[in-house]
Amino acid sequence: MRACIYLYQRIAANRVKKALRRPVTYVVGLVVLLYAAAACVSFSLILEEGGLASPETLTTCLSLLIFGMIPGNLLGYARRRGLVFSPGDVHFVFPAPIHPKLVLMLAGVRSFALNILLGTAVTAAGIWLFHAGTVRMLLFFLFFVALESVLEAGIILFCYGNERLPERFFKGLTALTYVFFAVVIGIAVFLLLSRRMSFGLLQEFFSMDAVLMVPIVGWNVAAVRLIFLGPDPVAVAGTVLYLASTAAVFLAALRMRCTGEYYEDAMGFAEELRIRKEKMEKGDGSYLFGKKWKKMKAASVEYKGSYAKAIYYRQLLEYRKCPTFIFGWNTLLNLGVGILVAAVGHFHGLGEEFGAMKVFLIPAVAAYVAFLFSGYATRWSKELENPYTYLIPDTPLRKLWHATKIEHIRAAVDGILLTAPGALVLGIGPATAVLTVFWHVCLRANHLYYNMLADALVGRVLGNTGRSIVKLLFQGAAIALSAFPAVLGGVFLGAEAGLFLMAASMGLLTLAGAALASVSFSRMEALC
Amino acid sequence: MLEIQELTKKYGKTLAVDHVSFVVPNGRVGILLGPNGAGKSTVIKSIAGLLRFQGGVGVEGMPARTLEAKRMFAYVPEIPAMFDALTVREHLEYIRRAYDSPITDGEIERLLDRFEMGDKQDKLGSELSKGMMQKVSICCALAIQPRAILLDEPMVGLDPAAIKELKAAVLELRAQGATILLSTHMLEMVKDLWDILFIMRQGRIVGTFTREEAKDEDIENLFFRITEGGAS
Repeated sequence: MRACIYLYQRIAANRVKKALRRPVTYVVGLVVLLYAAAACVSFSLILEEGGLASPETLTTCLSLLIFGMIPGNLLGYARRRGLVFSPGDVHFVFPAPIHPKLVLMLAGVRSFALNILLGTAVTAAGIWLFHAGTVRMLLFFLFFVALESVLEAGIILFCYGNERLPERFFKGLTALTYVFFAVVIGIAVFLLLSRRMSFGLLQEFFSMDAVLMVPIVGWNVAAVRLIFLGPDPVAVAGTVLYLASTAAVFLAALRMRCTGEYYEDAMGFAEELRIRKEKMEKGDGSYLFGKKWKKMKAASVEYKGSYAKAIYYRQLLEYRKCPTFIFGWNTLLNLGVGILVAAVGHFHGLGEEFGAMKVFLIPAVAAYVAFLFSGYATRWSKELENPYTYLIPDTPLRKLWHATKIEHIRAAVDGILLTAPGALVLGIGPATAVLTVFWHVCLRANHLYYNMLADALVGRVLGNTGRSIVKLLFQGAAIALSAFPAVLGGVFLGAEAGLFLMAASMGLLTLAGAALASVSFSRMEALC
Repeated sequence: MLEIQELTKKYGKTLAVDHVSFVVPNGRVGILLGPNGAGKSTVIKSIAGLLRFQGGVGVEGMPARTLEAKRMFAYVPEIPAMFDALTVREHLEYIRRAYDSPITDGEIERLLDRFEMGDKQDKLGSELSKGMMQKVSICCALAIQPRAILLDEPMVGLDPAAIKELKAAVLELRAQGATILLSTHMLEMVKDLWDILFIMRQGRIVGTFTREEAKDEDIENLFFRITEGGAS
């Protein structure tokens, strides 16, 4: 115990010390604080204007949180993938003479710390935003932090440390949790289709006796209702059942025999996370979907060219072997955003509201998405870590083009998915839609070229966060620069001409970025 | 003493280790020798308690998974993994506390100097090269002052000076009566270290020799005679 406390205390202290030495920490901290303050103010205004600043609203929000959080945690723990162990834990903690249950509890500390953070945030929001009263909120804080942590500790010990129940049991538990989610989503869809979805409907749902009697989750909601809305027979019964079940799960878990058989699963998951982190840093989206998609397909490609062209064909072969081909999380994100734009456009009549200026709606959304994801690596960036890239006897610009060509194709596909639904709903013509896709391709190309430029300019001087901020600034500057001709064109020549000027100027900025970034392909040390 | 009885390990349907049994007495160096994929690391990881397995593993007569047994043995994995935010010295301090080791500050200093890590005590785990990590991993294992030590391919990534020191440390541990189990496929590296040789192939032990039994036969000859001769 002494050793583990020392270990995690030193790790935390060193991380804080390291962070405090970096100027970027203060910048990020300030941005987060300002963002949180702005979010609080706007949330407070929405609550006041909508007449929702009440303990009843808070109870409903918390009920929703509980319905997502407890089964979500159970799902992770039952699959022995909820706790994150580092490779360092595997090397230094698992073989050490430390009780495996203590190892679990220390790994769970991160979750418990999250409970404290969440509890503090909800308590503050309850007092200042929902006017739920200080005493009641403090009671909730104690309940949430203490009991939730005890329940979570019990679930962790039970799922990870159990060496008697067969694997079938945990598979069944996982399936049951999925069924629970499916039923809840089914009810939500039914209500949405049969009656118009509203906050009142949500309140009604979480006050149903049947919902409050759902084991653990419903009982937890009942306890929250008892704290905020006062006693009624179902709330009291649910609270008693919740307390009893929490105590029972924890005591059973404490008495259970555990010799550390879970180390094998934890070690496998730690390794999987390490690989996934590495792959994601290199932009390999296929790992986002987890273990099952790791297997590659058999594939072949005919090389139609030599020198720098070989880079393109090798990339194409890699993508053909990938079960998701060129599609990844970006594809889903763009399709999701495209559908969202179309839905909002349809329900809120954005086409009529914006008139001719509607042509800027999708490009604006595309710019926002591109701006948010400017710091993320893409799969191709590993080309610059490959010494063979520099040994190929070709010009840097040709190498850059062939190394990024497939990314432009991917960007075009994503652009079509992002644009098409909204264009259909808003009544945007084909020529304008093509311009929007071109704008999207340029934005994504900037992502590649400006990232490369930022890497070559600042290297590791500012750390990863600092580098991401510089990339974000480059992308932001390009968007701002292309907005000027758009505004001028929009005012003097019409909306579609403005869009054309915006896309054309962005195309020029992308070409400039490509020319500058190609320097990175001239020699490997440019990145070191 | 390290006692392995009918150790069997399956990964899904793949049988990685098949009914392996052997004993390494106190004051002896046991070498697990075999080609890549023979199951050496799986045996070592199973003994270290990192894998589920069938069969029995005992350290000084106690099941290896008990805390009492774990207090007595050290483990050096094939691929060392440091805590990114912990310094070299803090890794050793953690080990001293976790194992309640009697090692003094001065002894820790000397241990680090021995592996040329004395001037890198304040470096974080994330700042170390692979070779340096391996050295820290070895220092941590030696800081336990173990009764038994498991070394999984410990010489990979080490510079010649560190290999020499590691060999010397192994011989010192042997002289102190500790049990050593070392897995490797680098025949040349262990030819002056071994007391008992366990040759593994396809998850099974296909040959066991003591130095006395082998007489003057070279370790390389022994290995190829068994693995290429197809003996069982």
